[in-house]
Amino acid sequence: MSVDSIINDSASSRRGLRWWNLLVRELGVFLRASFGSVFSREFLTVLIPLLILWEALPRLGIVPRTLVPPPSAVVSTFRDMVVDLNMAEHLSSSATRFGAGFLLALVTAFPIGVLMGWNLFIRKHALPLFQILAPVPPPAWVPITIILFGVGLPMQIFLIFLGVFYPILFNTYQGIKETDPRYLASARVFGASEFTLITRVYIWHALGSVIMGIKIGIALGLIMLVIAEMYGGRSGIGWLLLEAKEYFQIDRMVVCMVMLGFIGWFLIEVMKYIELKLAVWRIGR
Amino acid sequence: MIEARRISKFFSIVNDDRTAEGFTVLNSVSLRIESGSFVSLLGPSGCGKSTFLEILSGLQAPSDGQVWIDDKLVLEPLPATRKDMEEYRKKYRFLSPIANSLFRDNPKHDIAMIFQDYAVFPWMTSRQNVLFTLKLRGVHKSEREGAAAHYLRLVGLTGSENKYPSQLSGGMRQRLALARALSVEPRIILMDEPFAAVDALTRERLQEDLLRLWQETKKTIVLVTHDVDEAVYLSDEVVVFSPLPGSIRNKVTVDIPRPRRRSSPEIREIKERLLAMYRYDTVHESDYSI
Repeated sequence: MSVDSIINDSASSRRGLRWWNLLVRELGVFLRASFGSVFSREFLTVLIPLLILWEALPRLGIVPRTLVPPPSAVVSTFRDMVVDLNMAEHLSSSATRFGAGFLLALVTAFPIGVLMGWNLFIRKHALPLFQILAPVPPPAWVPITIILFGVGLPMQIFLIFLGVFYPILFNTYQGIKETDPRYLASARVFGASEFTLITRVYIWHALGSVIMGIKIGIALGLIMLVIAEMYGGRSGIGWLLLEAKEYFQIDRMVVCMVMLGFIGWFLIEVMKYIELKLAVWRIGR
Repeated sequence: MIEARRISKFFSIVNDDRTAEGFTVLNSVSLRIESGSFVSLLGPSGCGKSTFLEILSGLQAPSDGQVWIDDKLVLEPLPATRKDMEEYRKKYRFLSPIANSLFRDNPKHDIAMIFQDYAVFPWMTSRQNVLFTLKLRGVHKSEREGAAAHYLRLVGLTGSENKYPSQLSGGMRQRLALARALSVEPRIILMDEPFAAVDALTRERLQEDLLRLWQETKKTIVLVTHDVDEAVYLSDEVVVFSPLPGSIRNKVTVDIPRPRRRSSPEIREIKERLLAMYRYDTVHESDYSI
């Protein structure tokens, strides 16, 4: 075996290893950033007493146990629900709806926001429309949406879309509009076309506020997910919540609420991670 | 050759009591800058010299007058009559006149500009900043990496290629701005108070580097500054601007052979003359207001 092939061999195996290492390292970064803040020593000194209090108050009979299920009961109910109610299916149908509505909103709101922030002509023609429509609370759309789309997936996706659309649109628009004119001027002198300006200057300058808009969009989208599932369909976390209400199963309601909270928190953490990866240049500051 | 023909710039201001007021920033400035020369525009802060430079580069439209660079018109002047104004509005209703074309990158008149506060993109590393301008210039992809390394070496930034501007010091950021400007191989470099924000020692080094680069490449350099020392030491000709409304007060040719010494008596003498002119202006300020 020649020296060359040995070097090549070790290089290729190193590359394979490097890919694997990278994945593990990035996962580590994500987990440390997300779960690290919840399970930090500082927060645990708050969380553990709170949990103990929650457990103790119903058990000691200070609050009625039928109305406030202790955490131990919530955990055992969660286990039962996973087995009895096919939780994975409900979760995945909720995720499908949310994902579809969210993506639809992202691919429409982001380009419209960029165009409105970039060009005065477009802004003057389009912005007032959105400014009039945005204050309509998304839940107010429910009746007309049900009449137009019927009860089903399209109606649910549209309601989630409505929740996510405006925050992303307005935050993107603001961020793009407030791009520092110095950067635009410096790129213009070098002959950058408007398209290059958008892809290389505007979007990067507005990145922070775009991600802020997405975070707000996620929160509003989850609200709309629950509302949409309460009004139609026979699956999803919102439906489980409504169902638990019908049978007065408070422990199941708490399980659904905790799960929704966890999903929202997790999605926000994912966005924070994406921001960290895209805006590397801010770390040095 | 840069030729500015009777450039004027007015702004209208609406006061609190809803009356409109005209505000003249530049009053009929004509200037001719030969190729390969080093010209400084000297004036107190806020006398319209930066505005003049932006008009030269085509980043602002003059209210009146024209700028010609190598017999090419930089921007069409604003219309004078109502009818022309309507047509002008119609023509530029979608894109402003200072914008370039929608999709095609085209370097205009081989100008590069360096701004007072650097304006290098903070989201790109030093290398990416230079690669970006090389791409705009239309350098082939395979040659860009090598060219970027070359220009960064030229300004002494080797070793900081992968740093973001936020990790660089003020002087290094200014060097990066210079590398970015040089990378488009311009014939004219416009500099807007480039050394105002760095400390005195760094400023001297940057000035030496700038002189060296200018002598090696023989580009036209137009430097806007409020620093008399800097103007006299660096340039062939100092154009003195009067306080608002900006107009050319005087032109002083500095024909001291290079390399110059900062403390030589000839330089000191010219400096004294310029400062005396300034002093006269501040004492007799009312003579210049309209």
